[in-house]
Amino acid sequence: MPSDASSLPYTDSKPVGAADFYLAINATFRFVLGRFGIAGLREYWTGLGAKYFAPVSARWSAGGPAAVAEYWRAFFAAEPGAEVEVDEGTDAVTLDVKVCPAIKHLRAQGREIVPCFCQHCYFISEAMAAPAGLTVRIEGGNGACRQTFLHRDAATAPQDFARIKEATC
Amino acid sequence: MLGCYDFCGHYEWTFEWLRARRGEPLVREYWDKAIAQDSQTHAAARIAAKGIAGMKEYWGHTLDHEAAGYHCTTTDNVFRIDMHECPSKGFLIRNGLEQYRDYCDHCMGWIGPMLKRAGFVVDHQHNHCGKCWWEIRAASDTTPPSAPGELSGEHDVRLRTDWTQAPPLDTYSRANDPDDKTG
Repeated sequence: MPSDASSLPYTDSKPVGAADFYLAINATFRFVLGRFGIAGLREYWTGLGAKYFAPVSARWSAGGPAAVAEYWRAFFAAEPGAEVEVDEGTDAVTLDVKVCPAIKHLRAQGREIVPCFCQHCYFISEAMAAPAGLTVRIEGGNGACRQTFLHRDAATAPQDFARIKEATC
Repeated sequence: MLGCYDFCGHYEWTFEWLRARRGEPLVREYWDKAIAQDSQTHAAARIAAKGIAGMKEYWGHTLDHEAAGYHCTTTDNVFRIDMHECPSKGFLIRNGLEQYRDYCDHCMGWIGPMLKRAGFVVDHQHNHCGKCWWEIRAASDTTPPSAPGELSGEHDVRLRTDWTQAPPLDTYSRANDPDDKTG
């Protein structure tokens, strides 16, 4: 169990996850995309954020930016190969993802990555953030990105999907 | 981001998401197409090429990585797993996660079809509490499953006092299909 696992909604006895599960995550996105199209895949991601991750939203509602930062530090500590800096500012929390553990592992295993893979971070996080009065903006992707969580009324424009790169092998 | 640390949680949530939209056939298709034939192609390739030796390599590596409490028994003709602490089901139980009606079906859901393509059948029981056993033999081998303790000795999960408890066991005989069970 990670040392700060209490910040995670669901905890395990092992310190970090098994990286091969990234293969199943990528395959699941491909399957849902193939059966339901991009709108269905986005609906799937939004459902995960709103329902499966509802306990995280509740903590963010109660704890504000400090809870957001605490969650992401604990989250990436449990993801093998992640290199991420979490900066907690007064009005926003920024994740500087230097090495995305999922993209890194998928490439190492020679897997075909679903091109829209990196969009899942936006749709899941946005659904997690909304109940807490927050929103997320993402720039980059394909192995490294910058994710900013801020108050919804502080966002000047909606997420520009052109700023989220397609993932490649 | 969707992580691998709590993978079993959102994996199980996904089963119910799929079932709610297009019913159980889509869940079966997901286990075979997405897991057996996409995510776990490395397992399928290894087992198709090496048979029982490939099973030993694959499950030894995978279950170690998932921190499972298990024991493998291998002979020239059979590969047996006694799972005493399933890391996957254990995670769900500890965290109170249960969206889909029977999470344990997913193993037969992807392993069964994968083994069928490699020419193997499965005798299997799971108790829905993180304990199960598997005996995998060539489809041409009509040997019945071993008696408790016969093949894996003291490691046989069926010898545990907590093996049979509510809910009832699901039992598979020479199976490759998640729905081919008596329970």
